[in-house]
Order: sequence, then C-alpha cells, then structure tokens
Amino acid sequence: MDTRSKSKLGHLLIAKSMAEALLIAAVSVGFYFVTTNPYLRGVLDYADNQTVAGWAVDEGQPAARIEVQLYIDGIFVGDQAAAEFRPDLRAAKRAEDDWHGFVFRIPPIPPGEHEARVYATHVSGAGARRTMQLIGKPLRFRIGGSDKGGAPR
Amino acid sequence: MNSVAKDEQRGDARLMSDAGDRQLAAWEIASIVSSVLIAEWIAASVAGGSRLVVAIPITLALAFMIVSHRLRHETLRDLGFRFDNFLQAVLLLLLPMVLVAVVCLVLGRWFGGQTNFQAWHAGTPIIGQLALGFGWGLAQQYVLQGFINRRAQLVLGKGWLSVLLVAAVFSALHLPNVWLVVATFTGGVIWAVVYQRAPNLFVLAVSHSLMTWVIVSTLPPSALHHLRIGLKYFG
Repeated sequence: MDTRSKSKLGHLLIAKSMAEALLIAAVSVGFYFVTTNPYLRGVLDYADNQTVAGWAVDEGQPAARIEVQLYIDGIFVGDQAAAEFRPDLRAAKRAEDDWHGFVFRIPPIPPGEHEARVYATHVSGAGARRTMQLIGKPLRFRIGGSDKGGAPR
Repeated sequence: MNSVAKDEQRGDARLMSDAGDRQLAAWEIASIVSSVLIAEWIAASVAGGSRLVVAIPITLALAFMIVSHRLRHETLRDLGFRFDNFLQAVLLLLLPMVLVAVVCLVLGRWFGGQTNFQAWHAGTPIIGQLALGFGWGLAQQYVLQGFINRRAQLVLGKGWLSVLLVAAVFSALHLPNVWLVVATFTGGVIWAVVYQRAPNLFVLAVSHSLMTWVIVSTLPPSALHHLRIGLKYFG
C-alpha cells in the first residue's frame, strides 16, 4: 500500500469517527429531549406529618396539568394531577392560571425521620415510555416528637 | 504451480504489511466494530428503533469498507467471492459443522427443549428460511472474514492469533446474550480458520445459515433469548 493510499485511509478513518461521534451526540441529545420535559418547572414547598405540598408547571404547555407522584423513603405513596389552587404562581408570572398546585395527604407511616420526593411523569414514544423528573429538592420530615415540617436540603 | 495456488499467493501478497499498515489495519477493525456497536447498542435502542438512525452507522461502515478495499487493491476474488475453492472450503467445514450440530442436539435434549426445524421463521418454508439465512450470513461473513479477518491477518499475521481476534470480535458483537456469545465464538474460530485456508464467502454463508437453523431448532428459545443482542436483549 503506497503512502498516498495510507494517508487517504487515515483521513477516511478520522472522518468516519467524527461522523459517528456527531451521530452519537445527536442521538443522545434527541433522547434527552424526548424522554424528559425541559420546560418543567416546580418546587416542593412543604412536607410534614400530614401533607406534602408544592407546584408544577409545564411552561411549554402552560394550560396542561402535570401528573405528579409522591414517594416517601423511595416507596410510591400516590399520584395526582397538579391542579390545586395556587394564585401566587400567576402573580409571580410562573403560570398563566391559578391551578398548578398539589397537596398529598400522608398515609400512616412509622415514627422517625422520612424523606419525601415528588416526581412529574412524562410520557414519550407514543406511550411506550414513561419517565419521571424530580420536582424541586427532596424534603425531610419527622413523624412523632416535634413533628417539624421539612425544608429543602 | 496451478492457477489457484498462484492466485492465493497474489492474495497473500496483499496481506503483507509494515508497521504503519498494521496500525491502520487495527484502526480499521476498531472502526467497523464501533459502527456495529453504535448500531446495536445506541441507535437501535435509544433512537426508538428508527431504521434511519440504525442505517447511518451501517452505511458508513459499508462505504468505508468498499473504499478500503479499493485503496488496498483488493479484488472480489481476494475477499472470497469465488467458486474455484468451493469444494475445498466445503470439505474443511463439513466435519466441524457435523460436530457442532451433534453438540447442539445433545445440549437441546439436556436443556429439555424440543427439536423443531420450523422454529426459526415460523410460517416460512424451510427453503425460504435457509435462503433468508444465506443472505444474512453472507453479509455477516463478508464483514467478519472479508474485512475483519483480512485486516486481522495484516495486524497479527495468518494463524491462531488472528483467528482468535476474529472470533473474539464476532462474539463481542453478540453481547450480552451469553449463549450466543459462546456459539458465535465457536463459529467464529471455525469460520476464520477455514477462511484463512480457503477464502470462500459463499460456503461460509451456507454454513452460517445452516448452523443458525440448527441452533434455533435444537436449543430452547429461553436459552437463546430469541437471538436478541445489544440493549434490545433487555427489552
């Protein structure tokens, strides 16, 4: 194999590697945008021995109500549409209407310290996939004792 | 010296290499392997089974292999698209194929599976199944032997090292399906040895088709996991 052919082959290998790197990057970014909602905004405001509350808005579809799921210590507790009355969101220009809050009632759980996480669900692939995005930050709260409400970690 | 032997010598001469050439050949192998891995692990699963996305790395690999053959002045005959050594390749493959078939039958019985020679593409006549298998086998054997084996011989020379490299590459492309990895490593060794002695892709494609048919017909689907590989294995 002559030097010129070797050089051509080397350039071809570099070009192919670059094309494949670009393909992987495009597929990865595309996958991210398909499986997550980049327009999701929300905060977990409060968690105590009775309720877990917060809000969630899809800024890409401001009129839509987002489905949220509550997990305590990693265990599914319940789900609901974030459609509770929260006039402060519209006043703060985070939403176009007043109905994007959520309030979960805490079921009976053993005394001690617990962690609440609320996730928004996102459906993609014509229903083939359902992914979850954490809303705000997890909150810790205590059952029994002083029963203090949690604040973001 | 007869014409076949002279032709073998000319083909072997194109497999002589210097250090730079060996590095290029190793890079070529890595490049084709990466294309297949991208297709089966990333594009086929993450892109939601989009055939267009899967086709991109496969097309890139195919185009690259064709240009590489041209730059290295390799002819179709060098690659193994020929008939003059057909019988020689058949004779070399016959015994290992019979042995593998017997092992598959024994393993199938041991696993408690039922032998069913219509199981591969249910509803398609056996001749149709074998024809489909031949086409798919020819494509795989061209990449594995016509390209990777020839480049492996440039890197490591003719013999067991290059044979094992080809078998390792072939089995790695069937991860994480453990039984398929074992089967493809065995097949990879046999086919690579035969190709180095009698490069004939048509015979290898027939063998590939027959062996896949025997494996699917004898071993239980639960062991083979429906021949799924890459991320699709888990789906």
